[in-house]
Amino acid sequence: MALPTLHPHTKGDVAAMLREASARGTRILIAGGHRHLDKGNPCGVDAELWTTQLDRLVAYEPADMVVVVEAGMRVGELARILAERGQEWPVDQPADATVGGVIAAGASSPRRLRVGAVRDTLLEAELVTGDGRLVRGGGRTVKNVTGYDLPRLVTGSLGTLGAIVQVALKLRPLPRARRTLVARGDGLELGRRLLDAVRRPSAVLATPGAAEVLLEGWPAEVEELTRAARRVTADLVVVDDADFPTIRPWEERPVVVEAAVTPSRAFEVARAAGRSWGALLGVGIVWVGLPSPDGPLAALRERVAELGGIAPVVRGPGGLGGPEPPAMDVQRRLKAAFDPRGILAPGRGWGGL
Amino acid sequence: MGMRGATGGADDPAPADRASVGTGPARGADVEAARRELEEALGPEGVLADRLGLLLYSRDASMVEGGCALVAFPRSVEDVQACVRIAARHGLPIVPRGSGTGLAGGATPIGDALVVSTARMDRILEVRPEDRLAWVEPGVINLDLQLALAPAGFTYAPDPSSQQTCSIGGNVNTNAGGPHCLAYGVTSNHVLAVDVVLPDGRLERFGSEGPEWPGLDLRGIVVGSEGTLGVVARVCVRLTPLPEDVRTMLFDFETVEDCAQTVSDIIASGVIPAAVEMMDHGIVVAAENFAHAGYPTDAAAILIVEVDGSPAAVEAQARAVEEAARGNRARSVRVAADEAERALIWKGRKTAFGAVAQIAPHYHLHDCVVPRTKLVEVLAGVYEIARRHGLVVTNVFHAGDGNLHPLLSFDRRVPGTLERVLRASEEIVRLCVEAGGVLSGEHGIGLEKREFMPLVFSAEDLAAQDCLRAAFDPDRRMNPEKVLPAGARCGDFAMARGRDVAEAVARMPEGAWI
Repeated sequence: MALPTLHPHTKGDVAAMLREASARGTRILIAGGHRHLDKGNPCGVDAELWTTQLDRLVAYEPADMVVVVEAGMRVGELARILAERGQEWPVDQPADATVGGVIAAGASSPRRLRVGAVRDTLLEAELVTGDGRLVRGGGRTVKNVTGYDLPRLVTGSLGTLGAIVQVALKLRPLPRARRTLVARGDGLELGRRLLDAVRRPSAVLATPGAAEVLLEGWPAEVEELTRAARRVTADLVVVDDADFPTIRPWEERPVVVEAAVTPSRAFEVARAAGRSWGALLGVGIVWVGLPSPDGPLAALRERVAELGGIAPVVRGPGGLGGPEPPAMDVQRRLKAAFDPRGILAPGRGWGGL
Repeated sequence: MGMRGATGGADDPAPADRASVGTGPARGADVEAARRELEEALGPEGVLADRLGLLLYSRDASMVEGGCALVAFPRSVEDVQACVRIAARHGLPIVPRGSGTGLAGGATPIGDALVVSTARMDRILEVRPEDRLAWVEPGVINLDLQLALAPAGFTYAPDPSSQQTCSIGGNVNTNAGGPHCLAYGVTSNHVLAVDVVLPDGRLERFGSEGPEWPGLDLRGIVVGSEGTLGVVARVCVRLTPLPEDVRTMLFDFETVEDCAQTVSDIIASGVIPAAVEMMDHGIVVAAENFAHAGYPTDAAAILIVEVDGSPAAVEAQARAVEEAARGNRARSVRVAADEAERALIWKGRKTAFGAVAQIAPHYHLHDCVVPRTKLVEVLAGVYEIARRHGLVVTNVFHAGDGNLHPLLSFDRRVPGTLERVLRASEEIVRLCVEAGGVLSGEHGIGLEKREFMPLVFSAEDLAAQDCLRAAFDPDRRMNPEKVLPAGARCGDFAMARGRDVAEAVARMPEGAWI
């Protein structure tokens, strides 16, 4: 059953549409590229508001390493514009995902050991609240303590506080060289040793039959790190300029969980994860592919909870899971301030916010 | 901006001469009852109530004079909870305080406040290299944490220039930066979780030890909130591996423009140095006199650039940096030969604010940030403003981030000087905002800059921020009168709902911000 869809072309359109939706009590799901909509608890809505027509480049000054774009711009299109000037917004999300969607989902790059989380790249955000007001927070400089950090509040908010309509993003120079090393064998054991031996890798991913290390930087630096990795195992396959990772066993299953634990606990999660998993070592993320959201998901969540973590589903049904969030009274007041009629993805947030 | 006696107080005017803010008793506050209960909870040595003691805590490193009723020194999270509950019971506002090094008046108390000093909560609770994290109490001094982590091969990256004095709790509340945040990021990037005592005395943990959990990033809201949402009682910080190699370079230029252009050219070449610090002629002379770092005192401006990483990465970056500097007519390049020389180069930079005491007894320091590409234009404007008002301005700042610290030196005992300083300061702030900048890069808004907030934000933006604050502190007892200007109220946000959307949209200046 397809829901009615709204296609605003301007921020003013978004404001008018949400104001009307609030007045009528129409429940709205904000959608970008439909790439991250499975993340979140199930929520009933009456219509989708697509941000994909809001896709303008507002300002780009490469020497400032800051770009300002409307939220519906596709990640691939932005990457193309930035690459012309040797820069990137480091998120590594699907090309047809939108900038706003990636931010709202809090979807970070697997290279986060080197490039950080997506929340650290958002400098300024403009948001249309549930009742149609345009609110801006943050600023277009890389350093800023001018008022409360609204950009961080909307990162990962899953469209429950408002529609992100425009953002200023902190950029990085594209690495001069990029190389993936693949070692076959016990992924966890090899990965552990590679993480110890290679300083400043961009990523170390363990899968059931292999460990992959992503190296980025200056050509001589990548050579240097490659030599360090060879001291762990001589049996390395070197792939330059490939997508990372080269294999994603978890994606072969209909349900994908993205478990988050402290880095040292990732090993235990992986051991309890069956056969379709990938563990981002040094970070504490374990992607687990499951055949269904039934029994195995509950067992995995129980194990992750014992290890002090959380195991939200990021593809397929299953929701966020997890314990009761902290300070729910504070969170409810935040929700009420930004979405007073409660029309934005009601219940989708953690704890049913 | 912050204003203070550069010599540390000896030349300060009498307190009555200072700018002061509402010091009247809070309505209905029962100070005496609060004192008794606090002494019971913390012991007599945990409470300060004598007049001299209270005077010491009536200000921070800004020059705004406030006043407080009591000062408490909790030693544990439970103590903090007791302080907050007792203050709530007796109607006292709460002002959290770290080391008091902020320049914006964020820790200056107002009214019959209870100042909660975290100075005695100074333990590093747990270091877990395998998880790349440490739990610390808020009173731990920034530099002490760095020194404690170094033997294990790690550091806590944010390093404000006041790091010998400033506390991690204070760093969290101001989202502090420092020279090395260009490559490593500000405090928010290095704080994984915070344990916060909310205004009702509850303890809540925001954030997580591992990667972010789903849900609203309340941790991210608390960082930089200037003590207005709760008392930060424990902090989980990220550990960063120490770089294998580091190279510190010093370049000098005949014009400020060449120096500033070098900064842009370095970034454009694809290098993000660990630090890029710029000092102009006036500050170079003062710093050299004080620190004897071997700075070229005939230079119009100098640039300190540090690159770090693996030996190969350091080599490649240093080459690109040198090329950019020579392309902009750098007169000389000095590369620190060893750790001692590196420390000396940094000493001149990090003690520069003390060295300006040679110029005049008082200074007024700004903290604006502008886009990096606007540095030359804004600096020219700052010199022009100072010239017009007959003031001495020197500049030492985090050039890589565009975080300016124009510093006006003056002697406020000379009649009329303070007024000229304040007029010049406001012009500097307006200049930075017009160039697409923001009011503060690392000290926050506090008391001193809150009335400038409408230069940057619309009434609706500010009302939304007040809602955010009220969600944490509905009774408005945490560090009142800070950050938001008088009149920004959450209620306005709610009332504005009937407004014509087109009108609200029309007020947003498209593209005016870059």
